[in-house]
Amino acid sequence: IRFILVQNRQGKTRLEKWYSNYTEHERRRLKAEVHRTVASRDQKHQSNFVEFQNHRIVYRRYAGLFFCFCIDTNDNELSLLEAIHLFVEVLDAYHGNVCELDLVFNFYWVYAILDEMFLAGEIQETSKGVILARMDQLGALE
Amino acid sequence: MAPMKGLTVFIADLRKCRSQEDEERRVNKELANIRTKFKENSLNGYNRKKYVCKLIYMSLLGHEVNIGHKEAVDLVNSTKFSEKQIGYLAASLLIPEGSELMRAVVSSLRRDLYDTNECIVCLALCAATNVATREIAESLTEDVVMLLLAPSGSPFVKKKAALCLLRLLRRFPESVKAQQWAARVIPYMGHRDVGVTLAVTSLVTALAQQQGDEMRKASTFAVRRLRSLVLDGERVADHVYYGVPAPWLQVKLLRLLQYFEPGEQRPELLGILRRIIDESQEAPRELQQMNAQYAVLFEAINLGIHVDVDQGLMHESALLLGRFITSRETNIRFLGLETMAHLAACIDSLEPIKRYQGVIVQSLRDRDVSVRRRALDLLYSMCDVTSAKAIVAELLRHMAIADATLREEMALKVAILTEKFATEYAWYVDVMMRLVSLAGDHMGDEVWHRIVQVILGNEELQLYACRIALQTLRAPVCHESALKVSAYVLGEFGHLIANAPGCAPLDQLKALQARLPAASLPARAVALTAVAKFTNLFPEIKNLCLRLLDRFRGALDAELQQRACEYYALATVESESLLPTVFEEMPPYPERQSALMSRLLSRETDTEDQRTWVVGGRDINRSRSTRKPAEEDSSAVGGKQETIQPTATSATAVAVEAAAPTSLDEPPAQTPEEQERVAKSRKHYARLLWESDGILYDGAEVQVGMMAQYKPPAARIGLFLGNKSAAAICDISIQAESSDKSGDLVIQQATDQDAVPDSLMPLGQARVFFDVRCHRVFPTAPTLRISYTLAGAPTVLELQLPVTAAHFMDPVTISVADFFARWKQLGESSIGESQAVLKTPFLASDADAVQWLRNVAGGMGFALIQGADAVPDNIVAVGIATTEAAGRFGCLMRVEPKPSHSLTRITIRATNPTLAKAVATNISMIFDAR
Repeated sequence: IRFILVQNRQGKTRLEKWYSNYTEHERRRLKAEVHRTVASRDQKHQSNFVEFQNHRIVYRRYAGLFFCFCIDTNDNELSLLEAIHLFVEVLDAYHGNVCELDLVFNFYWVYAILDEMFLAGEIQETSKGVILARMDQLGALE
Repeated sequence: MAPMKGLTVFIADLRKCRSQEDEERRVNKELANIRTKFKENSLNGYNRKKYVCKLIYMSLLGHEVNIGHKEAVDLVNSTKFSEKQIGYLAASLLIPEGSELMRAVVSSLRRDLYDTNECIVCLALCAATNVATREIAESLTEDVVMLLLAPSGSPFVKKKAALCLLRLLRRFPESVKAQQWAARVIPYMGHRDVGVTLAVTSLVTALAQQQGDEMRKASTFAVRRLRSLVLDGERVADHVYYGVPAPWLQVKLLRLLQYFEPGEQRPELLGILRRIIDESQEAPRELQQMNAQYAVLFEAINLGIHVDVDQGLMHESALLLGRFITSRETNIRFLGLETMAHLAACIDSLEPIKRYQGVIVQSLRDRDVSVRRRALDLLYSMCDVTSAKAIVAELLRHMAIADATLREEMALKVAILTEKFATEYAWYVDVMMRLVSLAGDHMGDEVWHRIVQVILGNEELQLYACRIALQTLRAPVCHESALKVSAYVLGEFGHLIANAPGCAPLDQLKALQARLPAASLPARAVALTAVAKFTNLFPEIKNLCLRLLDRFRGALDAELQQRACEYYALATVESESLLPTVFEEMPPYPERQSALMSRLLSRETDTEDQRTWVVGGRDINRSRSTRKPAEEDSSAVGGKQETIQPTATSATAVAVEAAAPTSLDEPPAQTPEEQERVAKSRKHYARLLWESDGILYDGAEVQVGMMAQYKPPAARIGLFLGNKSAAAICDISIQAESSDKSGDLVIQQATDQDAVPDSLMPLGQARVFFDVRCHRVFPTAPTLRISYTLAGAPTVLELQLPVTAAHFMDPVTISVADFFARWKQLGESSIGESQAVLKTPFLASDADAVQWLRNVAGGMGFALIQGADAVPDNIVAVGIATTEAAGRFGCLMRVEPKPSHSLTRITIRATNPTLAKAVATNISMIFDAR
């Protein structure tokens, strides 16, 4: 995974995580381009994969939020697509029916969950149970 | 961590802002507030955390935040977990990499990695991974390795340590000294915790790409784990995802195995793959389950292609994929097409795939551009000589309706396929002209440049191309690129059709002229050149041409005006020879890799993760897999690769000239570049006169290496032809023949070897052996003729093979007395003496000179007689040459270096004059080349 972006329909980025090195300027440009690429796609008849520069974006839309992973073209798209789903399930379980506002107000927790699931651009943990238990443990710390 | 009220209020405030300016104002107000708070020094931990959080939020919204760095470091150093957590978050988001404060963060990291609380260790590992500066890679790698390898330690620490290493490895491969610990992490792939196995497998996969075979052992672990997951039904309770056991781990393991040769694990692997494929036959109901299962399935097919592409398993997979590409799920269609392209890139027979050609062509019309792109890739990969016409025709048909983003790629691929599989010239020209007309706006200049190159390089094409060019000009619509090609072609070869009805010079000029008003500036420039060339080609219309040029002398565009003025001036100068010289026909283009291919490949290279295959036909992938050994071979032959790009014709001429041992006089005036090539080529030849293997020819397109084994009177010569260009070379033929028909030297291709391949991909290598028998002493070396076609342009390389009579010599040791007796005897009979006084190729002071001379004598097959000569540096040597029909011939040699004059006298006496001469010639060439 090169980067993870969670954006709403207006293109506001709610979560960004960069696993490759980009300058501030590049990041800004990438965010805009990803939004343009993904939001314009038809949800019903089109795949969850789209070519993006020399890479590929695997994305899924949940309510008004687009979860986008930018990956290498030879990565396994379906496994990452399901990783997105797992991430959303975890967020959901953690916040109890997550919505965009939860991501806004609890951004620091979202980053903590992200660090438990993905690290260095790779999937780290794939068990919902393990992640949630861990988050509870960390939350209990002062 | 309890929510921070101040932060929540601030975020809510910002959300209420109606406009960007409102938000800006609110942020600035808060920044000012925070600045004063930070100055007060009496901040408690909670408040510090709160303010830093606000700063993070602002920066996430895209506002510039450059305060709070010091406070972030303070938080990192706090003893409270929640404050540390925010501190590290701020460090990774706010503090720039080069900042002095980053150093402070790194030293906290070092301390926290050894904290007794594993949660803090994990926090530090995450932060180290997210920040991943060079300093961390250099100073903390060892500690992280320790954490991963420690016998105790929680799975959380191990997972994070493995991925932290991965990030550092990717970013600073030279700083982490991976070879020191790479092998030791492999056993952790057997960790019972799925998360740890997953993380370590990711790390090992990256290592396998860098270290290659050293990581081989990992495949045992991977196969074992897969077997337990797939066949033995390992219980991974927490990691079952919608009924699929640990799908992510399965995918990772299957991918890792694609980087190794399967070896003896093949049967077991095939068993696992079969189970995965069988299990997916029944379609799952739920979307999540289907995705997880198919993620594993597609990866299994990819591995299957790697393990055993031509087994029945893959034919079954082809059927399965055939079903997928008509699936109702767009994702599945997408992946079905992509995986099929992988299969097409590797499978021997394309038949199982061709069955679906119709469906694939349909997919070019899919609603999803991603799917359309995959269909294009697949068609490109599955194209071969038999299907080329159909596929190219389909692609051309779709060109008109394809989206702009896809059109360029489509055009490139059509151009490449057409060139690669063209069997008729007319077809090539027709397709390309249609292509530029259809897609001209969407492709770079490479395509029309390439067409011109190919036409210039193939005489057979030119006549037809002219006809089509003229037609194109007269067509109601003529695309600018088509105009450029047509103008160029007529300018060069218009005379070929000048006698045909309706194609007279005047007609050609008119057709061209009619296009000018509407043409773009660059097209007009090309057209002007064509007109200028007409002045030379067709004296009968020179005046008309001049009038046209004259009109453009007043053009507003500087480029056009300059061209017109210059051409006009050239054409009006009173000189018989000037015009024909300047406007001579262009020489064929230097045969390089078609720019199209490089352009296409450049799209695929940008990935850290090496691909195991590329989109394209089987040959291109085959050559990829053989690339490594080929590289080793060429370095074994002692190859140094230099890059000179001469034209194809001059390369040929130079090679013949340079390698001929008889033409030692200075070659006629040449460019410095050519001189360098001559010198180099001569050097290669000379070196092979006393060394058994090395490079024989090193050109811009191909390299020829040679390996010789002499068992006088027989010898076996191995030749290696390497393709250095970036395109495939084909129609390869390698022939060797003796210089005369006397039968003194018999040279023929060895019978016990594979046939020379017909074509060679870039970096590919072909090998051919020749059996040589020396019947009698022969005067001249045999000739090697290599011919090949690169991108439609045939090239013939004629080289002299460094196989001379002197090569069939074995050393013999005789006593000093015997030597001088024979020496005298031969001198008196004067059967064969050759003497040469050569300029010593060293400085007088060079201490290695004598040793070099000895090595040369030894390498040529002489035995050195010690102590024969009073002067220690003189060399006295004996060899005996063996022939099949004429018996054996003794050969004595004396070498007397005279350092004071920097000359060396060489005297050879042999029982055969031709042999003596051959030895003398060889030595002088060796001296010359040094």
